[in-house]
Amino acid sequence: MVDEEEIIRVAKLMKIDLEDHTEHVGRVKKMLEYFDILDQIDLSSEEIISQEKALAELRKDEFIPNDTKLIESLKNFREHYVRAPKMN
Amino acid sequence: MNLKTSILDYINDVKSGSFTVEEFTSTTIQRIKDVDDDVHAYLSLNESAIEDARIIDKKISVGEKVGACYGFPISIKDNICIAGSKTTCASKILENFVAPYTATVVDKLQNEDVVITGKTNLDEFAMGLTTEFSAYGPTKNPWNLKYVPGGSSGGSAASVAANECLASLGSDTGGSVRNPASFCSVVGLKPTYGLISRYGLISYANSIEQIGPVTKTVKDCGFLLNIIAGQDSNDDTTIDNVNSDYLSDIEQGIEGKKIGIIKEMTSEGLSPEVSDATKNAIQDFEKLGASCEEVSLPTIPYTVAAYYTITSTEAGSNLARYDNIRYGYDFDSEGYEYNSYISKSRTKFGPEVTRRIILGGFVPSAGHAGKYFLKALKVKSKLISEVNRAFEKYDFLISPTAPVQPFQFGEKIDDPVTLMLLDYNTVTANLTGKPAISVPYRVTGGLPIGMQIIGNSKSEKSLLQAAYALESKTELPEVPL
Amino acid sequence: MTKIGLEIHCQLTKLQSKLFCSCKANYREFQPNHNICPICMGLPGSLPRLNQKAVESATSIAMALSCETPEKIAFFRKNYFYPDLPKNFQITQLNVYGDMSIGGEGYVDVEGKKIKIRRIQLEEDPGRLIYEGESERTKITLVDYNRAGTPLVEIVTDPDFENPRQVRVFLNILSDLLENLGVSEPGLEGAMRADGNVSIEGGNKVEIKNIGSFHDLEKALHFEITRQKSLSERDIEIVQETRHWDDRRKITVSSRSKEEDQDYRYFLENDIPWVKIDQETMTSLQKNMPESISSKKERFVEKFNIAPQVADILASDKYYSDLFENAHSNSDAKDIANLITTDLMGFVDTKEKREESKLTSHHLSDLIAAINDKTLTRTSSKTALQEIVKSGKSVKELLTEMDLGQVSDSSEIESIIMQVFEDEKQAVIDAKENPETVNYLVGKVMQKTKGKADPTKTLELIKSKLN
Repeated sequence: MVDEEEIIRVAKLMKIDLEDHTEHVGRVKKMLEYFDILDQIDLSSEEIISQEKALAELRKDEFIPNDTKLIESLKNFREHYVRAPKMN
Repeated sequence: MNLKTSILDYINDVKSGSFTVEEFTSTTIQRIKDVDDDVHAYLSLNESAIEDARIIDKKISVGEKVGACYGFPISIKDNICIAGSKTTCASKILENFVAPYTATVVDKLQNEDVVITGKTNLDEFAMGLTTEFSAYGPTKNPWNLKYVPGGSSGGSAASVAANECLASLGSDTGGSVRNPASFCSVVGLKPTYGLISRYGLISYANSIEQIGPVTKTVKDCGFLLNIIAGQDSNDDTTIDNVNSDYLSDIEQGIEGKKIGIIKEMTSEGLSPEVSDATKNAIQDFEKLGASCEEVSLPTIPYTVAAYYTITSTEAGSNLARYDNIRYGYDFDSEGYEYNSYISKSRTKFGPEVTRRIILGGFVPSAGHAGKYFLKALKVKSKLISEVNRAFEKYDFLISPTAPVQPFQFGEKIDDPVTLMLLDYNTVTANLTGKPAISVPYRVTGGLPIGMQIIGNSKSEKSLLQAAYALESKTELPEVPL
Repeated sequence: MTKIGLEIHCQLTKLQSKLFCSCKANYREFQPNHNICPICMGLPGSLPRLNQKAVESATSIAMALSCETPEKIAFFRKNYFYPDLPKNFQITQLNVYGDMSIGGEGYVDVEGKKIKIRRIQLEEDPGRLIYEGESERTKITLVDYNRAGTPLVEIVTDPDFENPRQVRVFLNILSDLLENLGVSEPGLEGAMRADGNVSIEGGNKVEIKNIGSFHDLEKALHFEITRQKSLSERDIEIVQETRHWDDRRKITVSSRSKEEDQDYRYFLENDIPWVKIDQETMTSLQKNMPESISSKKERFVEKFNIAPQVADILASDKYYSDLFENAHSNSDAKDIANLITTDLMGFVDTKEKREESKLTSHHLSDLIAAINDKTLTRTSSKTALQEIVKSGKSVKELLTEMDLGQVSDSSEIESIIMQVFEDEKQAVIDAKENPETVNYLVGKVMQKTKGKADPTKTLELIKSKLN
């Protein structure tokens, strides 16, 4: 059984403001309950795998200057700083 | 001139002087004006399309080298970046985001003189199966405007089906190209993971998603693939496709090929119409000289749960950057404290994206990863071994692309589990990284049904041969719109 | 028993580009947000491109710290929200699916004690936050992303340090090592940062973050040890927590359970494939690694017969060892070494002084040659060095210009000796009685000649005059 309090706590961590929270929480809970199906399969011999690449195939260490106007196309502030809300 | 033409036929017509690029482009734009208020495939249009067309006509007239595309009109899903154009992912949170750079796939097409008609609608951030989750209103199925076009690349599929362009580029994370292709009766391919560069594709679930072509014919798909496939230094996950030519030998046929009918995808859960169409498709494959038999992949019933666990985890992370601080929409941070500003900004996410982000915070979290996320990763590994074993015996695996035909708006959207299960037949190809194509097979009761063929890694060349062979057996009506 | 562990972050400032993009690794010369691109800004649709040399440099560091290195390395996402993180996650390394960070299980010898290196990982630096406005009400945060994506090597030690002094020695050894390897310039502002953890008497471990410099680290550690000890004396339990160093008040402050609410949701960074580091690469890296400090020291002592303390200074400082290696011929190695570590040091002991210095290895070898053929006294060499560092003039030029030439003419020296004998009548008597005190008289002659008299000759002449 998934705890609704837990879902609300996680939403906060993900910076999600649950105004109409009943609907979302209930629906997320249903999806999580569907995921219980994962308990029924034997995964004991499985390993995590991934794509692999050789060191030689990686990007060469070179400085390539980028368009210095990039900051102007984004949200920037006086003297090109990005303005963020105050931190606690 | 006929907008219902294919890319290859269009190119021949332009080369032979039957019409100019500008003429075709104008007619296409007129078509968009005529039908898109109803279909709503497009979110934004390329204002300089005619001008781009003129430039290509000029090249042709002076005998300058022209790119392979000869100016055919293509639409691009609005989660793919084009420099200078708004790229919204059908979300309010990116309402004003103008991409400062162009995706590799678009770059490649533009270098071959394609004409871009506009950006197409999608489920917000590509999360959905019906395009009903777009923050800018849904796209309608050109076959019946009361029905969903599928998703998340609903706008891509609808624009091609409604002849508002000759092809489109969509993205496929769990079926998002194949599913709407099936619902709109067009061809949709999800390539091998890594075959097509994701540079410029706004990430949703980066470990499994791919950009995929949506076209009217299988040959057109091969043509597009030739242009956009290949290793890209801007994307470290791309693989070497050894310069395959996907168009040559496409008519080879499938004589002697072994086809596995995926048992778990062709039993219960299929509507009677889809079940019937599947049986006929199998017969067609046999008539084409392939041998078909049932194969069981016992991990499949767990794939939807694994898929949503993995993708919500990745989405939760990929969408964390949308805090409206560096880019986004107009909302002054004056007077706000950091956490409350971000939370308020992120209320701009739609309901489905919001739910996936919450899920994505839950399933990999310290207390729950063992039960959900880590298990999902292992399901993925297990599935890969299983499918690899199947490909030791079979050349292709088949199933219907979707278990049902298109349905009406609002029909499935309320039950999350029902909605998730629409992906049942398609997520396997994403989780395993294998290429899969949806071929339009039949239209029953005015609603399309597509067949899915899955191939082994990097087997697009033979996969397209199988798709072409099946396509040659079909006789489809024209879209009523 | 006090236990201190460290988490050191070191920027790979000698690389040309950032860890995942081609912006400049050393961001210090740029205007705010002028060393950025779609990748390090985490713009939608951008993808990281791992820097090959960063992996090689980090592997070299791992080898230099005697670490084990894995066959494949992987990257992970550490997810949290902060304005200096463009993607609101940091790409870093973790040992989750087996050992896949760039190195681990190594050690550093600190005055005979082995400090264990638990793990080394490659990761990206976030941007920098600047706080503006004085009052709480008007405070806004300004962010400069020039630093975002700069390659960092994080070095985590076991809590093997017993006191802050050991920590200081370790950090000096580590700085020298990294500079010697040619991967970083630890002297650059912000290039090396360290956080620590402290526990006493087997109690709970307290992490201390937000420490600006090594100097502050020592202060913070001292404070924290004192704090814990006074709590312990009053039988108050030491809470396991994260505290931050408040530089203004010079105390550690509890970070208000910010850490406890965090869940980093670590998972593989799937945009970066696992990178295979094969044996061939390792061997080649090993071969091309600059000679280690300890190896240099050994070589200086054994091959050139240089005193161990002198060899230590030379070997530990890349600036000095480079000067030395380029200046000496085998015969004058000892002399060059001594010259550097006595007379020269005061003139080039800071980064700024070194940047402004006009001294080259040629100057050193010319100086020693002049001393050895007695055209210059050992004492005048210091004056000469000062001028060379300032102007870069050749030794030849200086000998004429500054009248530094050695006085070796016997009659010249003799007349000065006679003057000294006149002035120091008591010293002459003492010297006649006790020959050991004759150096006083030699010193006086050197003084009068401003160090230019040939000391050997002077001693000879004085001795003969006394008899």
